[in-house]
Amino acid sequence: MNDINEQQVAEAMYAMVKEYHGKKNLKAMDLTKAMIEKFGEACTKDLCKAAIRQLMDSERCTYSYVGGSYIVLPPEKK
Amino acid sequence: MADKKRSTPKLDELEKGPWPSFVKEMKQAAEKSATAADALGILERSYNDKIGHWKHGGIVGVKGYGGGVIGRYNDIPQDFPDVAEFHTVRVNQPAGWFYTSDALRKLCDIWERHGSGLTNMHGSTGDIVFLGTKTPELEPIFSELTEAGFDLGGSGSDMRTPSCCCGMARCEWACYDTMGLTYDLTMHYQDELHRPAFPYKFKIKAAGCPNDCVASVARADLSIIGTWRDNIQMNKDAVAACATGGKVDIGKDVVAKCPSKCMDWDGKNLSIDNGNCVRCMHCINVMPKALAPGKDRGATILVGSKAPIIEGALLSAVMVPFLKLEAPYSDLKELIGAMWELWGEHGKNRERIGEFIQRVGLGNFLEQIGLEPVPEMVTQPRTNPYIFYDVKK
Amino acid sequence: MATETVKRKTDIGPPHYEKFLPPIIKKNYGKWKHHEIVKPGVLMHVAESGDKLFSVRAATPRLASTKTLRLFADLADKFSGGHLRYTSRNNVEFLVTDEKQIEPLIARLKTEGYPVGGTGPSITNIVHTQGWVHCHSAASDASGVVKSVMDELFPHFEKMDLPAKLRIAFACCLNMCGAVHCSDISILGLHRRPPKVNHAALPKMCEIPTTVASCPTGAIRPKTVDGKQTVEIIEEQCMYCANCFTVCPAITLADAENDGCSIWVGGKVSNARHEPMFSKLAIPFLPNNPPRWPEVVAAVKNIVEVYAKNARKYERMGEWIERIGWPRFFRLADIPFTKFHIDDFKHAGEYYRRSAHIKHMPEA
Repeated sequence: MNDINEQQVAEAMYAMVKEYHGKKNLKAMDLTKAMIEKFGEACTKDLCKAAIRQLMDSERCTYSYVGGSYIVLPPEKK
Repeated sequence: MADKKRSTPKLDELEKGPWPSFVKEMKQAAEKSATAADALGILERSYNDKIGHWKHGGIVGVKGYGGGVIGRYNDIPQDFPDVAEFHTVRVNQPAGWFYTSDALRKLCDIWERHGSGLTNMHGSTGDIVFLGTKTPELEPIFSELTEAGFDLGGSGSDMRTPSCCCGMARCEWACYDTMGLTYDLTMHYQDELHRPAFPYKFKIKAAGCPNDCVASVARADLSIIGTWRDNIQMNKDAVAACATGGKVDIGKDVVAKCPSKCMDWDGKNLSIDNGNCVRCMHCINVMPKALAPGKDRGATILVGSKAPIIEGALLSAVMVPFLKLEAPYSDLKELIGAMWELWGEHGKNRERIGEFIQRVGLGNFLEQIGLEPVPEMVTQPRTNPYIFYDVKK
Repeated sequence: MATETVKRKTDIGPPHYEKFLPPIIKKNYGKWKHHEIVKPGVLMHVAESGDKLFSVRAATPRLASTKTLRLFADLADKFSGGHLRYTSRNNVEFLVTDEKQIEPLIARLKTEGYPVGGTGPSITNIVHTQGWVHCHSAASDASGVVKSVMDELFPHFEKMDLPAKLRIAFACCLNMCGAVHCSDISILGLHRRPPKVNHAALPKMCEIPTTVASCPTGAIRPKTVDGKQTVEIIEEQCMYCANCFTVCPAITLADAENDGCSIWVGGKVSNARHEPMFSKLAIPFLPNNPPRWPEVVAAVKNIVEVYAKNARKYERMGEWIERIGWPRFFRLADIPFTKFHIDDFKHAGEYYRRSAHIKHMPEA
C-alpha cells in the first residue's frame, strides 16, 4: 500500500477543480470519487474530507451554490 | 437616513388591522438602516409590479463554510442601491428556541451593527434568520457571533440545522430528550452542517411524541418521533373526575374517536386494548390528567419526507419502528452514518434521500444499510407480482 | 483582507440550551405531570413537584425588527424573569412563574400590538416563506397575504371556537419552504407560464447538461442560438415547477398577470386520530391582488366558515372532509370542481374512484 497524504490529495483535487473550471461544476463527492479512483484504497473518504477542508481554509477553493453546492475556484480578486 | 424614506402607499395599507404588521416592523428597522429602507422601497415596487425583484445568490459565505449564508441581489440596483446585496445569514438556534433577554439583546447588537435589523424568529428549518446584509459584513458578523457563542446554520447540499420541540423542558408527553438529542447531533455533525458534501440537503427534526409539533414527518429527511411500547398510563381517579367534570364525554369524545377502536367505556371503567393501540395520542390529548404515554419510551425513526421539488412531495417512512434514545445515541448515529454513506455515494445531484429510496427501492436500501425488513415498514405487502429475485444468490 | 487579531473560531455549534432555561424548567426537566389551557393563549404546565409554569403565547410577524426583539427582551425581564421562547409557528412565549404577572403581561402585549392567543381549537400563526421580501423564485408575496388573511380570521386566534385546531401555511412557490403540503389550509403561490430563456446570458451562467437534466418532464433540450449553445423549452410539456430556474438563473418565470395563489385543504402532520396526510387541491388559481389579496382572503374565510359550521368536535379539516366526502365538500364550500383537480403527473390514477361507493346527493 503506497502512502499518500492530505497534501497530495489536496493538490490533485485543486488540479482537477482548475481543469474543470468553466466546464463542469464539481461536488465534494465527485472529487472524492475521482481521488479514490486515482490513489486507490489508501485514499479514504476522511482523507478527502480533510483535503477539501484544507483547500477551503486556505481559500484556494471556495463553495458555490447553483441549485446544489459545488467546489470551485474563488472569483477573480480585483 | 430620514431622506431614504420612500412613499409606500400600498404597504401602508398593511399597517392597519389587528394582526401584527410586518410593515410596521420594516419601518422600525428603516428608521435606523438604509438597507431596511431600501428593502421597504423595493417591496413596494413589487406590490406595484406584481413580481419579485430578487436574484440568485452565487458565491457568498464565510471562510471555510459552504453553508449558512444565502446570497441575494436585486435586479434594479440602480433604483435600490442599498439592497444591491441583501444576503441572509442563518444562525443556529438554541434547541427548543429558548432564550434569555440578554442573549436576544446580544444578537440584536450584532445584527444592528452589521445588517438591516430585520429578522425572522425563526426560518422554516429552525434557524434564527438575519435578513439583509452585504458581503464585507459577513466575516465581522461571523466573528462576533462566535464570540457570543453562536454559530451559523446550514444551507445548500449539507445537513441543515436540526430542530426540535421543547420536549422534556416543558412537556409531560416527551418520550425522549428532544433538546438533548438535537444538541448532541448538531455538535456531532458540525462538519456535515458547515461543509456541504451531500447530493442535496438533509434535515433532521425531533418530536417528543406522536403529536409531532415540529412537523417532522412532513419536513425532515430524518423524522424522530417519540413513542412508547408498553401500556398507556391511566389514573383511574382522574378518569372518574373527567367523566363527572362535564367537559369531556368519554364515550363520544374519546372512545368513539379512537382510530384503532381499542378502547371501551361502560360509564364507569375505561379499558384499553394496548396491543391494538397505534399510539396516536388522541385520548391522552383529551384527558391529559387521566392518561399518559407508557413508561417504556423511545422513538419511531422515519426517513425521507420532503416538499415537491422535484419528484413530488413525500412523508417520511418508517425505518426503525422503535428505538431507545439515550446519550450518546450510538444506534441512531450508526443508522445515520450508514444512510449517508449510501446516499452520499449513489444519490444524484439534488436527489433527496426519500427520492433515492423510492428510486432504488426500500428493500434494496435496507439491505445496503444492513437493516432487516419488518412489516411495520409498510402498510401492506406488495400486490405487484413482478419481483426482482436475486438470481446470483 | 484584514489581519486576524484573535484566532478565528469555527464549528462551535449553537449555545447549549441549558444556558437559556429558566430555573423552574431546569428543576423540573423531564418531570412534568400534566398541562391545561387556562384561557386562550395561556398554558399551565404542572410538574410532579407541584411547581406551575405559565406560558403566555403572543403572535409575532415572522418578519420582525430588532426593535421588537428588544421589546420582547424588556417584557421578559419585567414579567418572566428574563425568560422566553419561540414556538415552531413563530409565536413568542413568555415563561411566567408568578401568576399575578399574567394579566398585566397580556395587557401590555396587546397595547404593543402583539395579541395573545393561538392555543387549542383555534387558528394560530400562519407559517410562511419569504415571498417578495427576499425570495428569488416567489410567485406571490408571503407576508402581505398572511397579514391580510389573519386580519380577517383574527377572532379565531383570540377565541378557541373551532371544532379542532386549524393550521394554515403559506408558501410562495412550489418549492414549499414551509410545510404547506400537510396543513389544514395551504395557500401556495404558483407560476402558470413556461419560463423565458435569456439566450445571451445562459451560455455564461449555466451548464447545459445540468439544465437539461433538471427538467422532470423532459421539456428542455439543447439548442444553438446565434452560434452559441443554449437551451429551448417545449412549452406544452412545462408544468412550471421552476426546477430549471433553480439550477440556471438565466431562465426566468415571474409573470405579473399569470402568477398567483392556489388553495389546498385537509392536510395534517399530527398522528392524533387520523394518520398524517397531504393537503389536497381546493382552488387551482386566484390572482395576486396586492396589497390585500381580497380573493384569497375571501376563499380562505369561506372554507374556514364552512368547516366551523359542519365539522364535529375534534375533527380536523381533512378528517371532516374524509367523513363527508369530497363531492359534498365542493358543494358545501361552493367551489367549482375542474379538470385541474385531477392529478395528471406522478400520482395520476392513484385517486380515481374505482368503485360504486358514491354518496349521491339529491339534485340541487
